[in-house]
Amino acid sequence: MDCREFCDQHLAFVDDTLPGIELVRMQRHVAECESCAKHDAKIRRALLLFRNLPLIEPSVGFSHRLEVRLKECHEEQLAHSQRNLKLGAFAATLASAIMLGYIGTTLYDHASPPRDIVMAPVVASIPEPEPTPITTSAPAIVASVSAGLSLWPAALFAEQAPVRFAHSKLELTNFTR
Amino acid sequence: MADIVRKHVVSVEGPTIRERLQAMDDSAVVSAFLGGEERAFSELVTRYQTRLLNFVYRTIGDREKAEDLVQEVFIRVYRHLHRFDRSKKFSTWVYTIASNLAKNELRNRSRNPLVLFQTVQKNFQDEDRPLQFEDATSRPDDMYRKRHLREIVEESVAKLPEHHRNVFVLRELEGKSYEEIAEITQCNLGTVKSRLNRARNSFAEIIAPYVD
Repeated sequence: MDCREFCDQHLAFVDDTLPGIELVRMQRHVAECESCAKHDAKIRRALLLFRNLPLIEPSVGFSHRLEVRLKECHEEQLAHSQRNLKLGAFAATLASAIMLGYIGTTLYDHASPPRDIVMAPVVASIPEPEPTPITTSAPAIVASVSAGLSLWPAALFAEQAPVRFAHSKLELTNFTR
Repeated sequence: MADIVRKHVVSVEGPTIRERLQAMDDSAVVSAFLGGEERAFSELVTRYQTRLLNFVYRTIGDREKAEDLVQEVFIRVYRHLHRFDRSKKFSTWVYTIASNLAKNELRNRSRNPLVLFQTVQKNFQDEDRPLQFEDATSRPDDMYRKRHLREIVEESVAKLPEHHRNVFVLRELEGKSYEEIAEITQCNLGTVKSRLNRARNSFAEIIAPYVD
């Protein structure tokens, strides 16, 4: 151990809070190093002087003065709590009055006979027709366009196609022109 | 019937409330006070008044002012005890209040030179007071030597910087642990150790010429 390490650990050494191995190392250093031993003795002696200073006692009037001040403090606290209590009581009274008023109004409303429900008059109007995206009046053309056929062959096929009817017994019957 | 009578006698002869309070630890006394037992506060005052007075006196160096500050500590404790976190140590809380008040006093003094002057003057006049702390059975020259030594020690402590002195007094006079000092002074543990080490070295240096 060198002197610097000794000084770093001196606080714990004086307070006796060092672990066993460190304590032995410190004690060995004190035995070997004269200047550190001097420093250690100087600190310990100074601390001993300070710790042995006589304690001062409170003066004779101390307790009485404190008692008077505590009494004042107690009364002050009592007055404060009473003021709070009064304020609380007033708030509670006010709240109960409001609550009673509300309950009374609600009960009065329940007790009165039921009235007819009157609703606002309804005005009916014809809705405007929705605009269609295609304005042409010939759906066949539209159909043919969507089927990918030209207009005239489609019309011819439609003419030559057999027309099927169903009679009342739901049997298939052909009709040829 | 005899059992009932015996029980009654035992309860009458049992410890008084004051004795019971004396046997309790701080936490229990605080609980008793908060539970409505006013006498519990007197017990706390009895336990702490001398310790706090010495701590504040060693920190600010003015006895009268120290008494005023200790009274203020107890008033604050009385007012705010219901707010005290009972999971913590009562003594640490009380010392924190005292330490803050002492710090404020020193700050006010440094701002107001008149107060500083009055304090110095008062301490100077104290030289004329009769010997009161020494053992009256000692020889006069011994008494003088002891008193002189005491004054030197007190002056040496007063020469330490305020934040060093505070930590020094808490450790060396009150025997507080590093952790408690850290809590009281609102510093971290490293700062406390460093301040204490410096305070010890400075104090030893200041006092060395007088005691060698």
